[in-house]
Amino acid sequence: MTFDPEKWLTSWRQAGAWSLSRHDPAKEGLRVSAFLPPQALVRCAQELRAARYSLLDISTLEAREGLVVTYHFDSLDEPARLAFRALVSRKKPVAPSLYEVFQGAEWHERESADFFGLIFEGNPNPIPLLLPDDLPGPPPLRKKEADLAPLAKLGLLGQAEILDPDFGDLIGQPVGSGHQGSQAC
Amino acid sequence: MDLSLAIFVQIIVAALLVIGLMVGNAVVMVYMERKVAGFIQRRPGPYEVGPWGTLQALCDSMKLLAKQLYRPGNVDIILYYLAPILAFFPVLLLFLPIPFGPYLTALNVNEGIILILAFAGLGVLSNLLAGWSSNNKYSLLGAARAVSQTVAYEIPMILALLAVVFQCGSMDLKNVTEQQGAWPWEWNVLTQPLAFFIYVVSLVGETNRAPFDLPEAESELAAGFHTEYSGMGFALFFLSEYANMLLVSLVAAVFFLGGYKGPVADGFWWIFIKAYAIMFFLVWIRWTFPRVRFDQLLNINWKWLLPLSLLNLWLTAIIVKLLI
Amino acid sequence: MLGGPINFVNPLSVLESPGTLTGDFYALNFEKKAKSGRVILNLGPQHPSTHGVLRVLCELDGEYVDRAEPVLGYLHRMHEKMGEVKTPWQYIPNLGRVDYLHPLAWNWAYVGAAERLAGLEVPERAEYLRVIGCELNRIASHLLWWGAFVMDLGGFTPILYAFEEREKINDILQIITGSRLTMANFRFGGVCADGDERFFRLIREFIPYLRERLKMYQGLVTDNIILRRRLEGIGPIDVDMCQRYGATGPILRAAGLPRDTRRDYPYSVYPKLEFPIPTGPINDCFGRYLVRLREIETSLAIVEQAINQIPDGPVIMDKAPKATWKLPAGESYWAVEGARGQIAVHLLSDGGKNPYRLKLRAPGFSNLSLFAEAAQGTLLADAIAILGSLDLVIPEVDR
Repeated sequence: MTFDPEKWLTSWRQAGAWSLSRHDPAKEGLRVSAFLPPQALVRCAQELRAARYSLLDISTLEAREGLVVTYHFDSLDEPARLAFRALVSRKKPVAPSLYEVFQGAEWHERESADFFGLIFEGNPNPIPLLLPDDLPGPPPLRKKEADLAPLAKLGLLGQAEILDPDFGDLIGQPVGSGHQGSQAC
Repeated sequence: MDLSLAIFVQIIVAALLVIGLMVGNAVVMVYMERKVAGFIQRRPGPYEVGPWGTLQALCDSMKLLAKQLYRPGNVDIILYYLAPILAFFPVLLLFLPIPFGPYLTALNVNEGIILILAFAGLGVLSNLLAGWSSNNKYSLLGAARAVSQTVAYEIPMILALLAVVFQCGSMDLKNVTEQQGAWPWEWNVLTQPLAFFIYVVSLVGETNRAPFDLPEAESELAAGFHTEYSGMGFALFFLSEYANMLLVSLVAAVFFLGGYKGPVADGFWWIFIKAYAIMFFLVWIRWTFPRVRFDQLLNINWKWLLPLSLLNLWLTAIIVKLLI
Repeated sequence: MLGGPINFVNPLSVLESPGTLTGDFYALNFEKKAKSGRVILNLGPQHPSTHGVLRVLCELDGEYVDRAEPVLGYLHRMHEKMGEVKTPWQYIPNLGRVDYLHPLAWNWAYVGAAERLAGLEVPERAEYLRVIGCELNRIASHLLWWGAFVMDLGGFTPILYAFEEREKINDILQIITGSRLTMANFRFGGVCADGDERFFRLIREFIPYLRERLKMYQGLVTDNIILRRRLEGIGPIDVDMCQRYGATGPILRAAGLPRDTRRDYPYSVYPKLEFPIPTGPINDCFGRYLVRLREIETSLAIVEQAINQIPDGPVIMDKAPKATWKLPAGESYWAVEGARGQIAVHLLSDGGKNPYRLKLRAPGFSNLSLFAEAAQGTLLADAIAILGSLDLVIPEVDR
């Protein structure tokens, strides 16, 4: 069985992805990634689960446009690391929980909740995991406004095809920009 | 009147000697345990204090004596302090009927083994009290384990000894010894090998030694029933554990290995050599085997040792009946 | 001493009314869901078999664990934040502290992620030295796990044997890393020091020595009937559970899948080395035990080939990054195979002095998260055995 990136890109496109990216596995470690609307996360995770993928980790970061939650997956049958991401508002950071699909997500989500103040709706045990329950101050990995970098600079998009106009406006790349067209991401 | 006074004095003297024996035994055992463990684990063991580290046990006991008796909050004070004392004193009594030599018995009791078995059962009460009164869940679990384990392992132990009693027709320890000869082929272990095996296995269970040290299973229950004891409270449990080991080994020596009888000259040296050989065996398996699980421990007892000891008893009874 | 007020709380009172349990935030939260008539046992953070400072809350039905919940964070040092406030160079020593049993794999994950982001070329001799160090370190980690695991089961002696071997490995690694515990000899573009003649001689002596010792361990521990009975059939973790919790490393391999980052995402000189990937025929505690012991042999084979193949040359690239080096902007997700599973570093940079975000994927974190499910309905002693078989290093889990 060989990895077919088109299968996932098609599937994510149907799920209403905001953008699709191809990456250079040698440099970035990923084959493909996508920004998905939060409401599509659980369904896409279910597809990955059915295709024998497991959740490696949930890596959150704060960018100027919002909090980016990156879900890294790898297949149990072949080297096929991929990721999808969700962009949530910095003011009201809420993302759906993947607990129902991957039970291991519970801890990763609690860790992100500790560090970034994210709220994962549906997490069965939303209490602090690594930090004390009475920690004062803002979540420790949130950054100052001045230190925030834009998404495009962080290279999260790779060779991206922007599908959603609002998302394109947000990150400053209009729909249809980047790598696309005849090579059809 | 004069006779009873003489017996009273005899018992007092004997009790003092037994206390000395218990303490001496603990010193020897601490040194032996640490040295043997060191040998098995390829390290020197104690070697700083005194020649070859022989004074290490003394230093250990000094440390325990000098330590603060820390009592955690919310314990049941009376039972908490009673438990180590109760662990220590019944053991004292148990040494009285043991014939250390042809004329060296503190108290000649013609049903000596009954006395020993009856009072040996008291030891578990102290474990239970310690576990209960400590107000600690580890202690409580350890105490529950101690009770079910000791109660279970007492039965095959008694049945194994009973087979020898059947064979010798006596419950008097001196009498049992006298019926055996000086040389190994004249010992009861040859006529009762199964009983000896059952006795040694249940001895490990009875004294809570590894691999049957479930009541104080370190990796599960921290220190089991004596988790909350420090200083001398802990030391008394420690002392009584070693005294219990010595006692069951002495009983094994009397019932199976010819007691004080031995080649060249009979005497207390032979019974001690035999008892310490068994204790060396206990130390050896402690540092070699992992611990069994609690249900496995009880299964070994109820499914194997008990039926085997009953079978052994039954066969002994038939053979004794046929021979007479 | 005896004169204090009698203020005795019946230890069984929790059996009657669970509401009487007092405790901190986590205990109270755990207790809310407890059924009545259950004892809630707090294992750790100071407990002989929680390997450091893990805390596990257990709801006990007799000696059966009805529900368990690990409580983390007692060794949390926020390495991810430190990654953001230190320059890439300053951060390297931190990696040894993340997992002190297999520090070189963490070194490698971080340095490798940065090298890929910046496109640095590592000299071949340095790659071989990295492989040798990392594999010897893996052996040391597995040996220590082996000893500690048998100690969890009540066997005291093997850990001292394991330490003896580990000391020899430390003697060897000390030559190239300069330290014995939290090693950090990786640099961007190579390693800091070359191995000398003594280094290679010690390795050549060590390989046949350890092979002999492994045979002895087989007789002393692996074939022991008590150990077998304690492990066989206990705590099965199948592929489905691994998938749901993201477990990797020996746990996944014991479940039967030959997944190994060294083979799946070939890095360094691993493609040039022949090595099998041990997979377990059984997925219980004993299967995981066997997989780890066989991985020691695998690592020995790798080291043996590596010291025979190692070329001459520099151990660090020309114009290697200096202390003021800045990472180019971009994202890199890079994984290596650690002793406990896949170690991954997600490194993002905006081109500034420090990395913009550093995410450490600890294999122990995912592996431990399945404990609650695996331990459900087992005896307390079996739960301890399962916990041990997961090979936890709490600093790595907490980070």
